[in-house]
Amino acid sequence: MQNDITDKVMATLGVFVRATVYVMLILPAVIVVIASLTQGDSLSFPPKGFSTQWYSNAFASTPFMSALWTSTKLAVTATVIVLSVGSAAAFAIARYRFIGSSLFQSIALSPLIVPVVVLGLGLLQFLSWMGFSQSYLGLFVGHLIIMLPYVVRTMVTGLLLLDRTLEQAAMNLRAPPFRVFCRITLPLLVPSLITAGVFAFVTSFGNVTLSSFLASSGTVTLPVQIFTYVEYSYDPIVAAVSTIVIAVTAVVILVIERAVGVDKLF
Amino acid sequence: MDKNTAVLTLKNLNKTYDNTTAVDSVSLDVVKGELLCLLGPSGCGKTTTLRMVAGFVKPTSGSVLIQGSDVTNQAPYRRDTGMVFQSYALFPHMTVAQNIAFGLQNIGFAAKAQTERVHEMLQLVELEHLSKRFPAELSGGQQQRVALARALAMNPAVLLLDEPFSNLDAQLRVRLREDLRALLKRIRITTLFVTHDQEEALMFADRVVVMRSGRVEQVGSPAEIYETPATRFVAEFIGWCSLFEGVVDGQGVFTTGKSIRLPLDHKPGPATVIVRPEYVKPAEALGSGPVFEARVTSNTYYGALCRLRLDVSGQEVLMEAHYPYGHGPSIGDRIEIRIDPKGARRLPAH
Repeated sequence: MQNDITDKVMATLGVFVRATVYVMLILPAVIVVIASLTQGDSLSFPPKGFSTQWYSNAFASTPFMSALWTSTKLAVTATVIVLSVGSAAAFAIARYRFIGSSLFQSIALSPLIVPVVVLGLGLLQFLSWMGFSQSYLGLFVGHLIIMLPYVVRTMVTGLLLLDRTLEQAAMNLRAPPFRVFCRITLPLLVPSLITAGVFAFVTSFGNVTLSSFLASSGTVTLPVQIFTYVEYSYDPIVAAVSTIVIAVTAVVILVIERAVGVDKLF
Repeated sequence: MDKNTAVLTLKNLNKTYDNTTAVDSVSLDVVKGELLCLLGPSGCGKTTTLRMVAGFVKPTSGSVLIQGSDVTNQAPYRRDTGMVFQSYALFPHMTVAQNIAFGLQNIGFAAKAQTERVHEMLQLVELEHLSKRFPAELSGGQQQRVALARALAMNPAVLLLDEPFSNLDAQLRVRLREDLRALLKRIRITTLFVTHDQEEALMFADRVVVMRSGRVEQVGSPAEIYETPATRFVAEFIGWCSLFEGVVDGQGVFTTGKSIRLPLDHKPGPATVIVRPEYVKPAEALGSGPVFEARVTSNTYYGALCRLRLDVSGQEVLMEAHYPYGHGPSIGDRIEIRIDPKGARRLPAH
């Protein structure tokens, strides 16, 4: 009986805590979306009236749109590159024993541990010494570095969980190594690749710290643009831009969910 | 054995890892249509041997010949072997039909021929109705049959089975074993299979190779292995038996120091004799043979029969007997037993 009461109290508390967490996670996004629909010209909640004028303003704003384009281009190309580089590294780590393999893995994962500010500062100095400062290439390389650990970790796990007897079975069925890779290994790694890709994309797309160190006038990313914008202005255009970003992200997740199922990803 | 008919030949096969020897000078011939079993406890090198035939493990020395040609240095995907893995290793992202067709595509079957062959194989293992299912949607027994169909579709020179029944429950195992044996015999495929289960080896194989610590202990038909084991290890690993150490005298009588006396028509000298438990019976159940007084030290009930451990003046004797319901002896009881001298086998001296 005593246990019953304790159980019930704990269960109720659990529901409460969960509800709080979900609300705290979702509420900021909801507030931004609602605030973006204001008629007034300052960011406030609840909004004054209803209009979509800030969306037309956002789409008409060259700084925001070019920043959105820069961010998207950067995140997409860097994701493609980091997936190939990171998967190759993961293959080496998961499948081969070589001298310094654990050191290699630690280096690949180190951007997770080193504070991004430190990394940004270091890269800034390094790139200017190399003559690449304030260039798109420098920004690109910086993003690759912070995306890499997510890809390596996800792909190493995916490879270690892959049953290698499947590859042997394919070989036994007369498939040469490249065919085994294309028909067996790669298809079975698709969920891991998508997970790694989502992590990498989000890491690049949302990064402020590193981008603000490495961005120049021509290569301002969207988060940096938003960040600098709100420093001197507080109009609802940022809310509208943020809502666009939320919508795009939601669509991407939805498409992946339809294609492979999100439960398989994480 | 006629060398020309050997489909698979192992010559002096060795495999050493660092300082441990996994397989030690194994030589074998498997003839066309034969079911040969590698039997032994885990770590005896049987699986390593199988994997060397498939090409997944490279021998340290020695050679593997398939249909007369040396494949020792050939990659796995160039060898004419079909393997059924212990875990079946079905491709989870392909349907049953796609799993079977995979190998056919690799050896250049045209689309139409593929479909026909897949259908033929599914008929053979009686799974036509499941061709569009994914492996995860099949039972263990069905998965095993798909794995078999996938290997057989390639019409390999040698079929390799790695503990094919170990993932199935006991009842299913017995039935599938009989079915599979009948099927393999019908299509006359040369098969090398690995197991640690002696019952499986005896009922399934035409010839059994007993392995221990990487070496071949004995090769023979199931009956030879069971009835006339070559070594003490084989005697003890295959089934149950009593072991007597003693001497054969000039009159053809075998005696141990502990009052076992059995007529044994062998040349005089020290001898190790084994007696299978079915040759030991309660005195009243066997017409002739020497009678011994025994004390029951354990009695395990197996349904159709009981397995008893008996103490005959300090010598352990094992007996299998049927007792009418409620009449089995209890621990500590004194009973009279007879040992059928026909069941006494002298182990070859080493």
